[in-house]
Amino acid sequence: MADDAAAEVFVPERTSIPSGDDSVWADVSPLLESACKDLRDGELIHGDNFNLFAAMSALEIMDPKMDSGIVCKYYSIDEAIENGAAPVPISINKTVDVQCTIDIMDHLLACEATWHKGHSLAQTVFSCIYLLRPDRTSSHALLHSYCRVIRATCKAVISVVSDARTHEEDDLFTMAYGLPLDGDGDEKCLSLLNAVEETISRQLRACKAPSSRRRVLEDMEPLQTNLDLEEGYCKALLCRLRFRKHFYHVLTSMRRPQGRGLELARKHIATCISELDCIYRSSDFLRSSACGTSEDGIENRTTASGCQPIGFDASLNCRLSAPTPPRAIKILSWKKAIEYFVKLLHDLDIICSYSLDPSLEGVLQFVVQFQKSQPDLVARAHLQLLLVQDGKLYGRDSMFTVITRAAVLPEVAKNHDVQKNEYFVQLGQLVINMLKILCTNAAWQRRKLGKMLQDWRVIYVQLEIAFRKEFGEVSSIPEDENFCVKIFQHILLWVEEQTYWIASRFLILGFELELYSPSEYCMVYWYIYVVLIKLSEKTHLKMAAKNDTGKRKGKKKRDSPKDVAREYRIPPAVLFLQCQICLAEGLTMMLAALRNEHMILQSRNPFNTEQERFIQHFELLQKACIPDHVSFHSFRESTTYARLSTLVMYNYFKDAQRIAKEAKSSFSNDPDKLAELRKIEQVAEHNSIALNVISRVGALDPTLKASFEFSHHPYFATAVVKRS
Amino acid sequence: MVMELEAEKSLIQAESSDGPNSNSSDLVARVRKLLFRRMLVGIRDGRFFLGTFHCMDKQGNIILQDAVEYRSTRRSSTSPMEQRCLGLILIPSSCRSSCHVGCAIEEQLSLLKL
Repeated sequence: MADDAAAEVFVPERTSIPSGDDSVWADVSPLLESACKDLRDGELIHGDNFNLFAAMSALEIMDPKMDSGIVCKYYSIDEAIENGAAPVPISINKTVDVQCTIDIMDHLLACEATWHKGHSLAQTVFSCIYLLRPDRTSSHALLHSYCRVIRATCKAVISVVSDARTHEEDDLFTMAYGLPLDGDGDEKCLSLLNAVEETISRQLRACKAPSSRRRVLEDMEPLQTNLDLEEGYCKALLCRLRFRKHFYHVLTSMRRPQGRGLELARKHIATCISELDCIYRSSDFLRSSACGTSEDGIENRTTASGCQPIGFDASLNCRLSAPTPPRAIKILSWKKAIEYFVKLLHDLDIICSYSLDPSLEGVLQFVVQFQKSQPDLVARAHLQLLLVQDGKLYGRDSMFTVITRAAVLPEVAKNHDVQKNEYFVQLGQLVINMLKILCTNAAWQRRKLGKMLQDWRVIYVQLEIAFRKEFGEVSSIPEDENFCVKIFQHILLWVEEQTYWIASRFLILGFELELYSPSEYCMVYWYIYVVLIKLSEKTHLKMAAKNDTGKRKGKKKRDSPKDVAREYRIPPAVLFLQCQICLAEGLTMMLAALRNEHMILQSRNPFNTEQERFIQHFELLQKACIPDHVSFHSFRESTTYARLSTLVMYNYFKDAQRIAKEAKSSFSNDPDKLAELRKIEQVAEHNSIALNVISRVGALDPTLKASFEFSHHPYFATAVVKRS
Repeated sequence: MVMELEAEKSLIQAESSDGPNSNSSDLVARVRKLLFRRMLVGIRDGRFFLGTFHCMDKQGNIILQDAVEYRSTRRSSTSPMEQRCLGLILIPSSCRSSCHVGCAIEEQLSLLKL
């Protein structure tokens, strides 16, 4: 009986699934079925380690949103290949073969742009079956060399983005999950590409030559069989190959240490942009010579010809993009992909033209300005790697050197032993972190900057304690110790300045990210005002200390009235801050006055009080005491008595205009600062006028209301007066 | 043939029992004993999932822990299998086509009995 029973035991068809040593598979379906009948509704059979909440995260099999392994058309890549999904050559007809190859190249460009924008490699670039089996294409020189350079390019981009290590916020796009990125011999991709390019160039020359010469070049086989189309196809291929070659050069040049390859990279970038232009213009020819394309949906096509490319299947690979669920993604259109690359190249060009300013102030200004054009991840990663290499600025200046320079200490300070002090080492690390964070996207950046404030405050306190311990009270200190004192003092002051700068960035980014509702602008501008006041105070002190040092080092001269006047001139950097302070103060008071006199368009927030919102927005700043002794109550005190009538008499906007005008003369060779000052002037002027109008007419006309828009400046609002 | 007779016998037993509790807890208890054991579940599209039996509900939906997916690389039945790890998965009873538990040869008889 036992034998009979054993014979009846079902084993899975595929006996290759092992059940373990000395064990067999026993069919339990009948048992389970009967047990189910005996369960009560809602009853589960589970063990002690079961957690319902955790169980909810289980992947549901056969749900297309969660199960990436659902068998669709082909079971595997090899099966797809066996069924002719990616033929090599693509067609025996050489013209068709060339057309299809160009389509593959175009679609790969679109896939690459889609990948850069934040999708998985498996669903984009590696949805190409030709790329998945690198060896298959070796008989087709054109396709083979192109695939090689694509793989090498992807690897280079992954390397940059991984090294920057700030891509977590931009959809993990570096995971390769076993995709064949390391093709054997991909480093030689350029020599292969050059060989192919050379061949096609000769084919182009041959077809353009007059018929008499053509006989001489007869041994040159044409690219494809239709002689009328030969020139068009040769040109279309050449610009595509050249773009790839130069783009790869851009990436390798920019990775050279200490920015040595930037100038060369610029040349390659220029070539890339011109080749992209050729690629774009080739679409007319390719569309006209393509077969069977309708005009519908041409805008969304991923190829220049409008045809569907051969050899792509995203579903074959979706198992390789696990563990993330396989969201269906839309590949960018070919036109949008070109636009993406043009922008990327322009952003990279800006990085390459950067003068590698040794001053930290210059670096910060450059990064802030660069971020205004909203560069994508790849460009930002390149910037970060240029700025911070081997823990040094541009891979050449140590952080201590950078700090002493920023703290306007003399050059010799950079070699001082005090840099070995653990707090100075930590400070150096904070600067590195800050530089890296400033290269990330706005949302991530703001969050990290806010968290950083505490660290900067703490290091200040630690340095101060170390200073006091070392030197006690500053009195009757011998000459060489004096220098160490000066280093500490300057750096302490600089740390404060830098902390307030970070705080101001944190607040300003809130406008860019639209985190403040109009009813909160008043408190935000007030906080910006108090932070900027502190910032300008520290900056001014720092510059005064610089002048002090300069005076001591210089020869004793008789102070002429001119010298005295020059000495008392407010430094341009401080002027720049001061006009912003006036603007912030003006806006705070105007908003407060309008609210106090019920003239502002705003809805009451039913959820929380103004104090609660104040605490929510400024929690990180308050925790770090930036600035000290500032609270919701100080805000209320400053704004409760604001009235339009008093504002007109003391017009902050007029002050802002005046200071901005004065500052402009000092920044004549800084176009970015000039542009900024012009915007500040415009905001000040418009707000001044609005203030006058509303204060004069507002009392008489209750329908007059003010709203605030960012029409002249990204974060200083302009008042718009309207009849409601 | 033997199995079917055995099955019939125990079904009859179940139906004629005094109270629902004594037999039901027996079946449910036996399934409970299968918890944490290696279970191989076959799916209608031809894939198999091997994991530790973690949970089952009244509808027959099964949760496996540390599951590995096995699938063939060709449509034909004779072909090598690919595998990959999935972690915690839920297999709805509607797509389940088979269900086996790894056991010692002596044990399999008791498992087959209802």
